[in-house]
Amino acid sequence: MTLLKARDISVTDGRDRLVQPLSLTLRPGRALTILGESGSGKSLLAQAILGTLPKGLHASGELHVDDVALDPARPRGNRALWGRLIAVLPQEPWLALDPLMRAGRQVEETHRMVAGSADARAATARDLSELGLSGAGARWPWQLSGGMAQRLAFAAARAGGAPITVADEPTKGLDADRRDDVLALLQRGLRDGGGLLTITHDLDLARGLGGDIIVIRDGCAIEQGEAAKVLADPSHPYTRRLIEADPARWPPRKPSVPGAALLRARDLVVSRGGRALTGPQDIDLHRGEVMGIQGPSGCGKSSLGNALLGLLPVAGSVWRDPSLPKVAFQKLWQDPVAAFPRRLRLGQGIDDLVALHRLDASEVAPLMARLALRSELLDRLPAEVSGGELQRLALLRALLLKPAFLFADEPTSRLDPVTQAETFDLLTGIARERDMAMMIVSHDASLLRASCDRVLRLPDQPPAR
Amino acid sequence: MSLRSDRIGWALLLAVIGFALLAPAFDQTGPLKQSLLKALAGPDAAAPFGYDHLGRSLFSRLAHALRLSLTIAFAATATAAVVGIGLGVLAAWRGGWIDRALGLVADSVLALPALLMVLMMGVILPGMGAAFWAGIAAVQWIEFFRLTRRACRAVMDGPAVEAARIQGFGPAWIFRRILWPEIGPVLRTAMAFGVAGAIAAIAALGFVSVGVPAPTPELGQMMVELLPSWREAPVAVAQPVAACFVLLLSLNLIAGGRA
Amino acid sequence: MRGLTGILAFRLAQAAGVALVVGVMSFLMIQAMPGDAAYRIAAARYGYDMVSSQAADAVRAELNLDAGALAQFGGWIADLLRFDLGRSVVSGEPVAHEIAHQLGATLHLSVVALLIALLIGPPLGVLAGLRAGGLLDRVLLVAAAGLRAMPQFLLGLVLIVALAVEAGLLPSAGHGRAAHVVLPALTLALGLAAGSARIARDLMAGIAASQHYAFARMKGLSDGQVLRHHGLRNIAAPLLTYLGLQFVFLAEGVVVVETIFGWPGIGHALIHAVFHRDVPMVQGTALVMGLGFVVLNALIDLAAGRIDPRGVTA
Repeated sequence: MTLLKARDISVTDGRDRLVQPLSLTLRPGRALTILGESGSGKSLLAQAILGTLPKGLHASGELHVDDVALDPARPRGNRALWGRLIAVLPQEPWLALDPLMRAGRQVEETHRMVAGSADARAATARDLSELGLSGAGARWPWQLSGGMAQRLAFAAARAGGAPITVADEPTKGLDADRRDDVLALLQRGLRDGGGLLTITHDLDLARGLGGDIIVIRDGCAIEQGEAAKVLADPSHPYTRRLIEADPARWPPRKPSVPGAALLRARDLVVSRGGRALTGPQDIDLHRGEVMGIQGPSGCGKSSLGNALLGLLPVAGSVWRDPSLPKVAFQKLWQDPVAAFPRRLRLGQGIDDLVALHRLDASEVAPLMARLALRSELLDRLPAEVSGGELQRLALLRALLLKPAFLFADEPTSRLDPVTQAETFDLLTGIARERDMAMMIVSHDASLLRASCDRVLRLPDQPPAR
Repeated sequence: MSLRSDRIGWALLLAVIGFALLAPAFDQTGPLKQSLLKALAGPDAAAPFGYDHLGRSLFSRLAHALRLSLTIAFAATATAAVVGIGLGVLAAWRGGWIDRALGLVADSVLALPALLMVLMMGVILPGMGAAFWAGIAAVQWIEFFRLTRRACRAVMDGPAVEAARIQGFGPAWIFRRILWPEIGPVLRTAMAFGVAGAIAAIAALGFVSVGVPAPTPELGQMMVELLPSWREAPVAVAQPVAACFVLLLSLNLIAGGRA
Repeated sequence: MRGLTGILAFRLAQAAGVALVVGVMSFLMIQAMPGDAAYRIAAARYGYDMVSSQAADAVRAELNLDAGALAQFGGWIADLLRFDLGRSVVSGEPVAHEIAHQLGATLHLSVVALLIALLIGPPLGVLAGLRAGGLLDRVLLVAAAGLRAMPQFLLGLVLIVALAVEAGLLPSAGHGRAAHVVLPALTLALGLAAGSARIARDLMAGIAASQHYAFARMKGLSDGQVLRHHGLRNIAAPLLTYLGLQFVFLAEGVVVVETIFGWPGIGHALIHAVFHRDVPMVQGTALVMGLGFVVLNALIDLAAGRIDPRGVTA
């Protein structure tokens, strides 16, 4: 028995084929996961099935949902599926909930208007209590925590009674523990005998869901099979690289030999809006040392680094080696696009930096080669460069100033796994070459374990009210 | 609005400015010389656009009226822009009580219509030209102030400015490379709307007879003077109306669909 | 984040700022006029026909005029704070009475204009925003650009010529019969309608492209259900806020339109007062316009806070 059968689905933009013909089948109680990096075409595939492709893109192929034949080339007909046969989980639930409608009503209206439920209120109360949300129904969406919003959106999407669930990147930008929440939610749907199609680049999620996997790259399915088998013994080299890129599999770090003292903080307390984010911390950092900072979002990781850089006022004392110039303490940002002037050509920014500090302009080219950056990137604006390249350009910008210390604030959290692995390889390699100390912020414990000499864990903070 | 309508706007504006600047060079009669015999007469060699109800050359009066409106409007908006951008950057940069005080002043003036400000200035200052300049600038600086402050605040708290500081760049570089490229396009739009608003205000008060006093030619005043004779000389009435419309249309096209 | 008290405190401060700006401007107007200061102030207070040298002397003593401009200014502002607006120089009537009399006519005109504008503008804007880039959207954009190039006095002129003089459908000027309100109200309304249509269009296009709107559709709701439950309410609060700011243009329009159409409201009176250098009347009218803006926007803040409770904590 199948819930959904798609044959030879392909997507074109009129000139190029963005997704090569691909077939898939959803069965009750069994997960199907499409695994790939951003730009691989995995989201386009999902949109072709749902009938939500952006303007200018066209799908073709055959689609059967619940024994109803649909034509992917005419997406208008797919509208009847939404909510009733296919529940679509939003990518970012806190943006998907209507900020001006109370939480419970957003589930209730699906029950009443989509499922035609006679007692929508009772059905909603049941849903909310099953998901541990009872009592939250009268709140506004922006009064919910991230995890609660996620569960509420799940309930609202599925209240129409659809047997099939489609989730596009459901763990994008989530901490590890929140990722587990999502996994539990998706598995709940499977247990009820529903079908599940998940689109993700998250190997942990794919492993947790089990079922079948299709690995997709450049619009082609390059490998498919049972999840356990594909993940344990991949046959395609790209799948292998994808799996190798998992921080849990990175080779452990050779410990560094600490050099002279560089930075010392005593009884350091970082606060935001008058509220202490961290307890008193003592931090010592020597040349060449790499220290990790781990903790859930909002716990003050970034603020701690900014305090050490002297960007924030602090309680306690911070000593930085006074023989070094101020610019010897540098930083990498989580969102590389935001860290560059939006309308300034990248090359102009580098030229200005060279002129400001009277640097040797001939150092730029070899350093770019070391960072695997092509010189034509300098003619572009930040938005015209990929995230990985831009983060390496940010590194170039910092390295030109001969830093003794680099604070890297979640430098790869917006990058794909393979790019993340490459970036970290480069980052730790260069730190060792230049005897540069680093402080790396991440919420990924295995990443920090593999790339740091020691890790400082910051405790969770109650959310601000 | 497409790029094309933006170009049409510039072409129209330059044509109007060109007429205002060049026409007096070809004109022997001047805007004030009356010859009642020629009242409402059609065009001749001395007055290519015909004559008004007092027999004055419409060609000459139109050119001088446009000169007056354009000069006052550009001066007022330029003053407002310089003051508003300067204070906006100051407020965003320093924050604290300076920001709050400037914000309150801006919000207080915001509640008062520009025409009212001009009318009050007209009682205080000796000439209506100065009153228009001061009154319009006193209201328009708020728009530039608010736009600049908002754009600067958004950018100032961002990582790009933090990065520039960590790399040792000073305020001048941050303004030139980060802030100005962000706010420039928005302010160009605001400037076009500002000039348009000023021109409309000058004409409106001229039309209700409390603007630039006669006999100095002014668009709104010309319209109201010619209005009683609109049946005898519709072309004469249409001239200041069309000039005003084209000028405002060009500025609105330059400003584009954005507000 | 601003609480209810924060909103009220801000609007109170704004009202004080408005009063101060108007007070300063009026004081400067008095100073700029020819003649003896005490006599002028006495005249401003009691009317020219009531003023005598005794009254001027009383003012001189009371305001301590020999003490200099600063003390004079203090006295002027103190009168203002006691809501003592003085008397009209022209009619001799208390300014407050005159304005109370004219305000009714202005409110009548404004409310009719606002109703017409709201019936035309936002519905068209919502329709255009739902199909951004569509035919209606493009037509509206061109129409709005044309309308913006047409200042209100010109629009009024065109309407008078077309509907009153040529077609003879409506009276061009006057006050008293119901038909008299149509042309001035329409003149005021068209500009407001164009502005509110454009804002409603931008807001609707933004909401229709938002993730929560897409999610509501994906939940299985129909287009009408999504618009009713997740569209209209979401554009209401920012649209109201925009309309509040437009009050200043309404006030400006009232000045011009009332004068052109001979409508006996405060705008008409303002032009009259300026013409006769009747400073107390100018001050009174300016205060009513400025404070009217503040009060209306305070009410709108409260209404918008009920629709969109984010950031408002009672």
